[in-house]
Amino acid sequence: MNLRSLLGDRRPAWLGPLVAVVVVYAVFAILTPDTFLRTQNLLTMARQTVVVAICALGMTMVIVTGGIDLSTGSLVALTTVVVARLLRSGYGPVVAVLGALAVAALVGASIGALVGRLKMMPFVVTLGAMTILRGAAKGLADEQKIDCDTKGLERLLSADITAPGLWIALTLAIGVAVLLNYTRFGRHVFAVGSNEAAARLCGIDPARVKILVYMLSSLLFGVAGVMELSTLTVGDPTDSIGLELDVIAAVVIGGASLAGGEGSVIGSVLGALLMTVIKTGAVHRGMPSWTQEIATGAIIVLAVAVDRLRHARARR
Amino acid sequence: MTSPPGAASSPPEAAASGPPVLEIAGAEKSFGAVAVLRGVSLSVRRGEIHALLGENGAGKSTLMRILLGAESADRCQMKLAGEPYAPPGPGAAQRAGVVMVPQERTLCLHLTVLENVVLGLEPARAGFVRRGAAREIAERALGLVTGVGRRIPLDVRAGSLSVADQQLVEIARALAQGGAATREDGLSAKVLVLDEPTASLGQDDAARLFTRVHALKAAGLAVVLVTHFLADVRAHADRYTVLRDGTVKGEGDPKVTPPEQIVREMLGRELEAARVEPGGDARGAPHDEGVLLDVNALGGCDRPRSATFVLRRGEVLGIAGLVGSGRTELLRLIAGLDASIQGTVRVRADKGVGLLSEDRGGEGLMLSRSIAENVTLSRRGSFVSRPSALFAEGARWIAELSIKASSPAQSAGELSGGNQQKVQLARLLREDYDVLLIDEPTRGIDVASKTQVLALVRELARRGKGIVLVSSQLDELVSTCDRIAVLRRGELDAPRPASEWTEERLLLEASS
Amino acid sequence: MKMPAVLRRRALLVGIAALTLAACKDPPKSDPAASGDGGARATGVKRLKIAVIPKGTTHEFWKSVHAGAVKASKELDVDIVWKGPLKEDDLKAQIDVVNTFVAQGVSGIVLAPLNDSALRAPVRSAAQAKIPVVVFDSDLQGDEHVSFVATDNVAAGKLAAEGMATKLGGKGKVIVLRYQEGSASTQNREKGFLDAVKGKPGLELVSDNQYGGATTESAFQKAESLLVAHKAETGAIGGIFTPNESTTFGMLQALKRSGVNKKVKFYGFDSSDKLVAALRDGDIDGLVVQDPFNMGYLAVKTMTEHLRGKPVEKRIDTGARLVDKESLDDPAVKAIMSPDLKPWLGE
Repeated sequence: MNLRSLLGDRRPAWLGPLVAVVVVYAVFAILTPDTFLRTQNLLTMARQTVVVAICALGMTMVIVTGGIDLSTGSLVALTTVVVARLLRSGYGPVVAVLGALAVAALVGASIGALVGRLKMMPFVVTLGAMTILRGAAKGLADEQKIDCDTKGLERLLSADITAPGLWIALTLAIGVAVLLNYTRFGRHVFAVGSNEAAARLCGIDPARVKILVYMLSSLLFGVAGVMELSTLTVGDPTDSIGLELDVIAAVVIGGASLAGGEGSVIGSVLGALLMTVIKTGAVHRGMPSWTQEIATGAIIVLAVAVDRLRHARARR
Repeated sequence: MTSPPGAASSPPEAAASGPPVLEIAGAEKSFGAVAVLRGVSLSVRRGEIHALLGENGAGKSTLMRILLGAESADRCQMKLAGEPYAPPGPGAAQRAGVVMVPQERTLCLHLTVLENVVLGLEPARAGFVRRGAAREIAERALGLVTGVGRRIPLDVRAGSLSVADQQLVEIARALAQGGAATREDGLSAKVLVLDEPTASLGQDDAARLFTRVHALKAAGLAVVLVTHFLADVRAHADRYTVLRDGTVKGEGDPKVTPPEQIVREMLGRELEAARVEPGGDARGAPHDEGVLLDVNALGGCDRPRSATFVLRRGEVLGIAGLVGSGRTELLRLIAGLDASIQGTVRVRADKGVGLLSEDRGGEGLMLSRSIAENVTLSRRGSFVSRPSALFAEGARWIAELSIKASSPAQSAGELSGGNQQKVQLARLLREDYDVLLIDEPTRGIDVASKTQVLALVRELARRGKGIVLVSSQLDELVSTCDRIAVLRRGELDAPRPASEWTEERLLLEASS
Repeated sequence: MKMPAVLRRRALLVGIAALTLAACKDPPKSDPAASGDGGARATGVKRLKIAVIPKGTTHEFWKSVHAGAVKASKELDVDIVWKGPLKEDDLKAQIDVVNTFVAQGVSGIVLAPLNDSALRAPVRSAAQAKIPVVVFDSDLQGDEHVSFVATDNVAAGKLAAEGMATKLGGKGKVIVLRYQEGSASTQNREKGFLDAVKGKPGLELVSDNQYGGATTESAFQKAESLLVAHKAETGAIGGIFTPNESTTFGMLQALKRSGVNKKVKFYGFDSSDKLVAALRDGDIDGLVVQDPFNMGYLAVKTMTEHLRGKPVEKRIDTGARLVDKESLDDPAVKAIMSPDLKPWLGE
């Protein structure tokens, strides 16, 4: 088991993002040495990356199959609402979390069935789901934030090395990386995204693979929703609008191709981290908000451009 | 170009004997009212390369699909190694040891060679791939295919291999699926079907491939070779069977049967003189000043390798060649749609070059848009485009080419194949190009339309256009063209007058 | 046999439309009993129907506005329709909502514009359709609207600055976490605060160019980064100001998470249960509270009076007040901060 296969790709697609993270981190460390290098800042950045990173794990699987999921933000918001509702109805935190995750998995299975069995475009299905789930979250929350006693869930995620959320995220990342690279199912995920006809020829049922992928990814979005609730301490139906775009950006920066067949968990997590580093660094440097938006966008385009060039060179 | 491919590298082996490993008897299959197979019988022995020949639509594919369990026959008796064999699906066929490498490439280019070979067969414990076992399967299957000395690395992406190596990986995968790799002592796959395995390969690669096929044959595999290349059949096959119109029209040993006879069995016509149309003034007496297109040693990324010809005003130049010989690619190079890597194309036509694509639905037409929009789609024209003028023009062309349509607003997708083809032609005519590159104009259209379309082509030549016509219908080429050139594995021969060609000679040339 | 299919589809559409309409009717307008009152109909006067359009629907603030509006509608015997943009803080959606009400032809529109210029056009088209508009909470450019009912935000921002200055003893480093680009009311609060701070030589402004954004989560993330960036946990920061509920709540969470609460003087804006609790615990030192209930009430009342032909003021101040831990139990403050919404919203 060499290092490359352990990290989850035959060619280190995550090398670019890794270099980018290190370079951007170094730049901000030089610019603001007294604050940026502190442990507290590292932990804060790690905490801020958790939600996007967990979502990026799921999105990586979806994008590897050649699909896309636009309902991420809505599902995260719905999860915060469901957990808050259940907590307020007197259920314990475990029941509340499991209940919300069940809802998320059910949503994912439905999306997967529409995409896999009915062969609908993932873009369209999840675009619909995005609005439906957002509406459901608002309806379930009576169009208000839901205050609730979080019964210990608020301790899940904090800028602290002992915060379970950080370790859960890390464990999930390793889990998904292993799933994609060391299991039969993982092979089939890549095969379906690379050449669906070939996969079918080899006796693989692409629809089944897709249903499982959307289910797992939605489950991960649900976990991210629980983390979000831990931060917010309220169920907020308007939370995380546009989160899916950040997540897709992270996955693309991480070297995945929207055409399917390519993607790496490490890359996606690094992509999420890169965006956090830029955002945080800009605050430390006192740069105005709009410059952060430009920088993040530029990184996305740059990442894909570099990837293109690398591919073109490899082909020659 | 003169020696048959692979002739030197493969000494013919003794024809296999013993009872047939595969027997098909009385296969019948109809799609609706169309009978595709009418009682076909085929028997293949262990250690034999059996060529299955026939023109497009002869029923070869259907027969193979039945063999592979992808299609069920209306009536058919099959025996595999003496046991009754009737696979309900491709999986069952694979388990029984009957596997196929389809003509189109079906590798997952992003996955490694290893992952491709074991795709769908991954040995796993609790869902986790057992890497060691997977590697063993892949090594064994690939070892059977590549032999000693030459190795294909297991851990590179399939997409980084050459086309020839990809082909070998596909064969290895088929063998693995047939169970070759699960047995220590070698093959448990019994029948391997190769569908046009060399269509996309060069001569050297094709020869190398056949060395490996011979090795598999020596290991006891029965190989069914579906191909158009008569030369390959003569050099490598032990037996051949010709299908035409759903029945067996000939079989025997290709090494002793004269090729003319095989061609006759395929075409089903006696040798006859080419019908010579009363052509335009260009026929036979080309004048130098009328040169529209001067193509010199033109070569593309893969196909064609080298093409040289001159097209004159008022002439129809035919290009004959088998599937995969690079016909479409040649037209695309001339049209400038793909980049050439060598040679020159000099266009001396003021009004440019137009291409009629063989892929009507894919790139020829906007099927969901109206006839009028399709006909008038152009990069020229004014910024303003009034719908009324658009439809008036559409109506004019509908009348001009007698397209059967309810109105110019009807969507192109609703038309029959022949009328769609006329819409494509109308667009080219409206642009008034001097040179028309026409690719498979009669594919998938009815007989009456065929005649009309071909007559239109001749008429255009008479009006002074220069036309390059690509067709797999050899009779069409002989009857429509002034000159015909044969494209063979990417190499274009010098054009010769149509009067010197017959269908048989074209087929012999193209498949040699 | 095409007709049946078409008919079936049409029937389905009608069904969906009916459901949608039914759903739209559901949220609280005024008391049904009031609309059942035959008085207005008997006199032949058309019952007034006033559309109230907030910036969003989930913030606590808007709950109070809603309740105040309902109270006015009952007292004055008019119907109100409460409808915010479909997405929170979605400018485009709010414009759509205004245009929809103009097209419906309501009697009057009471609007809290998300942007002080983008809503001008829809308001102008309302005026052209002879539908008067009362603007509340945030100002709008132009003079097509009848009246502007709101807190004097500049003064309110100044209140926070004065409170903070006193508490800090006149010196210390100060951070402002802004709300969102283009929101007039919060920008005025920020301006009032910043102007007042600049007038005090002891106070040093260390950051005022970061925006918390629309949601609590985004404000939280920004706040967290800001605190680390300025080493707040070492006591380097004296005071923090946030201009609305979501930024205040986000900042509060960040302070608590990084253990900086109680180490800085934190002045926020608006109130909710959690913010009041934090004020009581000392995590927040002061909250500038508007009187959203009164704002909703006065906005609807002003509109009704205008519609009934009475003259109304061009600018109506609904008041703001700085609340600290000591004044929290003052009955007057209580009435503003936690008005009893139940009778009005029926929760």
